[in-house]
Amino acid sequence: MILPIGPIHPGLKEPLRLKLKTQGEKVLSAEIDYGYVHRGIERIMQGQTWQKSIFLAERVCGICSYIHTQTFAETFEKIAGQQVPLRAQYLRVLTNELDRTQSHLLANSTYFKALEHETLFMYMLALREPVMDAIELLTGNRVNMGWNVVGGVRMDARDSHLQKIREIIVKLESEYDKYVEMFAHGPLLGLRSRDVGKLTYDEAIKARAVGPIGRASGLKHDLREEHHTYKDNLDFKVIYRKEGDNFARTMNRFDEIRVSLDIIKQVIDNIPPGDIRTKIDFGAGYDQWRNEAPRGEVTYMIETNGNLIKEISIRTPSIMNIDACAKYMLKDVATVADAVATYATSDPCIACTERVVILDEKEGEKSYQGIHNLNHKTNLINEK
Amino acid sequence: MLNTLKDIVRKSSIHVCLVNTGGCNGCDIEVVALLSPRYDLEQYGIYVHNNPREADVILVTGAVTDQWLENLRRIYTKAPEPKVVVAIGNCPLTGDVFNQEGGSVYAPVSDFIPVDAEISGCPPRPSEILEAILSVVPGAIALKGRQNK
Repeated sequence: MILPIGPIHPGLKEPLRLKLKTQGEKVLSAEIDYGYVHRGIERIMQGQTWQKSIFLAERVCGICSYIHTQTFAETFEKIAGQQVPLRAQYLRVLTNELDRTQSHLLANSTYFKALEHETLFMYMLALREPVMDAIELLTGNRVNMGWNVVGGVRMDARDSHLQKIREIIVKLESEYDKYVEMFAHGPLLGLRSRDVGKLTYDEAIKARAVGPIGRASGLKHDLREEHHTYKDNLDFKVIYRKEGDNFARTMNRFDEIRVSLDIIKQVIDNIPPGDIRTKIDFGAGYDQWRNEAPRGEVTYMIETNGNLIKEISIRTPSIMNIDACAKYMLKDVATVADAVATYATSDPCIACTERVVILDEKEGEKSYQGIHNLNHKTNLINEK
Repeated sequence: MLNTLKDIVRKSSIHVCLVNTGGCNGCDIEVVALLSPRYDLEQYGIYVHNNPREADVILVTGAVTDQWLENLRRIYTKAPEPKVVVAIGNCPLTGDVFNQEGGSVYAPVSDFIPVDAEISGCPPRPSEILEAILSVVPGAIALKGRQNK
């Protein structure tokens, strides 16, 4: 029997249709329909200046909105062959790690909601609010911050604000272990999470899983290791696990939050004085830049003509992770309730995924459609 | 007597269905933040359930994309009377940054379904969303309930 879940469903916060092929309670396989929130961002960006496009890049995804602007700005800086001042780099890292912390807390809270563990769900959201306060203190907004510009950051941070953020982080760290213990040693939570939704190392490579999902399956891959600011100035280690089940994915996020909090403290202690913005000489060219978003690696490929964008392509992590979830994790899950929980651990972000370019060779023109429409269109072409 | 009773019941138990018709998620996570202990939406008798068939309030976040053109209307008709639609954020009001040449969104949402309250902001703060819902929704539901009878 096919059991459809979504696009509007109590278990999902974002529109997506999950088709589960079930036998009794057991899930045999799953299929996913996207395309509900395709807005055509890449098409709008063409021919626009970066000053306009950076706000569109921010609105690719609301949860990890920060990393999109950073990657966008760094691609432009790479084309120009310039680097931003060290203080701006440090401020970017600081905001990025705060954003990663709140995103991971939200992801874990969604998982606990899917398990119907309301207590931990509320605790996670309660922990998240001070982090949102810290982001607001630093950038002036909670979600879409408008904080990055090509060549640096928009505003300088005051020392008193940085110290306040440090206080928030230290307080968060002091009460954090309690909640991790609750999950790691809770017998019922462990039963619901261990050995459910397994993604092995080989499957993770086949599905090109990235981020915490890949790292929980033994893929030791974190782009922060290759980023110049992290590599040269900061000290951190990559968290990874081998089990590849729901428990490993959730614990991986918990441990990564610890690393992020540690990086935030390093940044605040060592931030150098100086400029926060430099003038960039825009040239024509093409380049790509990758960064580690909370969900994995995000890639921007931009071809510019001076200040204007000729062509842009954005690759976000969620699309690989959702496919890995549909194809491998949801296969042979024991109950439908576990299937929804497994889907929640893959930390899906639908707004990220909705972009695809269809090249219709017969007519020789590009059309921009959602993925759902792509299936429809291929059917039409086949019928012809 | 019956009407007064119905008014009280309608005001104190409000089920909410959140429909993202093509936003960036920002408003959705601010609605999720409303569930947190700091704002605690449920103390006002508001319950985010995401089921249109038992919803009193439909929260629309996002401009309308191609896929939602008909589906939004269908979800609206599925919700039982009396119902209130609240548009959250700039997207359902104007289409925000997506409503430019090349974008595949349609705005405003009020072209497709009747909207009772609008909250601007990209995204609005949770306290603003909460304030707007509390000041508009209970009264509107009670009023609409009396009109329909």
